Amino acid sequence: MSLALVGVIGILVLLFVLFFVGMPVGFAMAIVGFAGYCYVLNFKAGLGMLSTELWMTFSKYGLTVIPLFILMGQIAFYSGVNRKLYDAAYKWVGQIRGGIAMATVMACAAFSAICGSNAATAATMTTVALPEMKKFRYEPMLSTGAIACGSTLGVVIPPSVVLIVIGLYTGQSIGKLFYGGVAAGILLAILLTVTVYVVCTFRPGWGPVGEKTTFSEKLRALPGAVEMLILFLLVMLGLYYGFFTPAEAGAAGSFFALVISVVQRGLSWQGFINSIMDTLRISCMVIMIVAGATIFGKFLTVTRIPFNIAEWVTGLPVPDFLIMGIILLIFVIGGAVMDALALLLITIPIFFPVAEGMGHDPIWFSVTITVVTTLGAVTPPVGATTYVVGGMAKDVPLESVFKGVAFFLPAYILCIILLMVFPGIVTFLPNLIR
Amino acid sequence: MNALEKITLILNRVMIWIGGCFLVAMILLTCTNIFLRLVWVPVGGTYELMGFFGAVATAFALGYTQIKKGHISVDVLVLSFSKNTRRILNVINSLICTAFFAFVAWQIAKYAGVLRSSGEVTETLGIIYHPFAYAVSAGCGVLALTFLVEFLKSLISGKEGE
Repeated sequence: MSLALVGVIGILVLLFVLFFVGMPVGFAMAIVGFAGYCYVLNFKAGLGMLSTELWMTFSKYGLTVIPLFILMGQIAFYSGVNRKLYDAAYKWVGQIRGGIAMATVMACAAFSAICGSNAATAATMTTVALPEMKKFRYEPMLSTGAIACGSTLGVVIPPSVVLIVIGLYTGQSIGKLFYGGVAAGILLAILLTVTVYVVCTFRPGWGPVGEKTTFSEKLRALPGAVEMLILFLLVMLGLYYGFFTPAEAGAAGSFFALVISVVQRGLSWQGFINSIMDTLRISCMVIMIVAGATIFGKFLTVTRIPFNIAEWVTGLPVPDFLIMGIILLIFVIGGAVMDALALLLITIPIFFPVAEGMGHDPIWFSVTITVVTTLGAVTPPVGATTYVVGGMAKDVPLESVFKGVAFFLPAYILCIILLMVFPGIVTFLPNLIR
Repeated sequence: MNALEKITLILNRVMIWIGGCFLVAMILLTCTNIFLRLVWVPVGGTYELMGFFGAVATAFALGYTQIKKGHISVDVLVLSFSKNTRRILNVINSLICTAFFAFVAWQIAKYAGVLRSSGEVTETLGIIYHPFAYAVSAGCGVLALTFLVEFLKSLISGKEGE
């Protein structure tokens, strides 16, 4: 049997184990990768690879950045920052038509920038923003759609765990990926906000105006939101000027988030314990997927599948944009049926060399596929974020939440098209970093 | 069965607390390093210690994460299967994972034994690091135990169902 065929069978077995057996992604990749590696080389080589790779992955300094950034988000989450961010956004834009939904998207963008978790952002923003929109008789499809889509921004806006993992896995600068994600995330946030405006222009009854606020009320709402902005700037500027390594930025961010929360008395002892436990749980899940992907990647490498596919695709007599379009379509479909991080780690060994072979900027490619996979968080059948919103908004049928999300899909598509046509949107800021 | 489940729960609870302590230690160590680097000299060996602390924090959370069903799986198709099929898949899953992680724990323990017998130390601090490798092995071992409990529970619930 040829090595390429073994590689293809390995991929098919992995997909079978994932979809038909339901084994956790990290474990499935590790087990199938180990078995395939043993088959291609020998059992002894497989044993050596397994223990060394697992130990190296768990003890890798670079991966310590993951729990540190997740902890920063968890502390912000348990200290109730989301409420303050929402209040600030509400006071500033709540008085225009659809303004509360716009404020929700903005608060989601700001909170998810610190938190980085789609599900946590969706859950908290549903609690905070949905009752307010209900009070002002917002159309449930608009309100739930805005929350579900706004919550996906955390995967793109730094510090994003997905971008960290891509950076570590492909050997790219995490700082540069973060800066690439800033512009893409802001662009998507603007497009989602514009969507609310457009929907409310055609259906004015869907987003009535909120309570009027005075300028002093607007100013008074800023404290609470400003601290988070400072925290965000601390991390981003520290990375930009090379003052911090990414892991140090995460640790400093966590420390300052803790200081801010304690000073403002927003975090209880139980909240602190919960944030530690949740951080360990989420980090463990992410690092196990990375470990599994590393082992599976070793197997793919010995079969030379990634290189063969890259050579084959780059040699195809079709325009580059068509190939990239097909790759992105695969990510859209993949993102619809599985978790973004898992999908990216399974597919990156295959598609990253293809994109590099076609001469695409690796930062651009990483950020673009991250944006594409965020779509999967709101579209059926998986649409985890939509399910969270639907599950929490008891009086809104899940069907309506999905319909609401559909209004925002053109914003995602436009964002992806803009990123493809103008790659400079992503690459401009990273290129400024020394 | 109950005793085994209790032991697994206690082990995981103890380990997650230890993991939490290591996580806090990582933040304190890094922040101290940043501060001392500004005013005096950096803390030697931060890079090495952070990797090892991270290894313990993550490995000790493996079993706890499994108990909380925190490891992501693709259940879009599995959820459409009948309850009995899902139970059988759960039995297969947990059996494979028990065997695999028991095997992984054994292999990493063997690797740690090699590190110990060769007297390998870290480059900067010159400290032995095989205890951290043993800790990762222990984390995988407890994960295997957690899967074993899941396997037995699925089997028992199936028999009771019959």
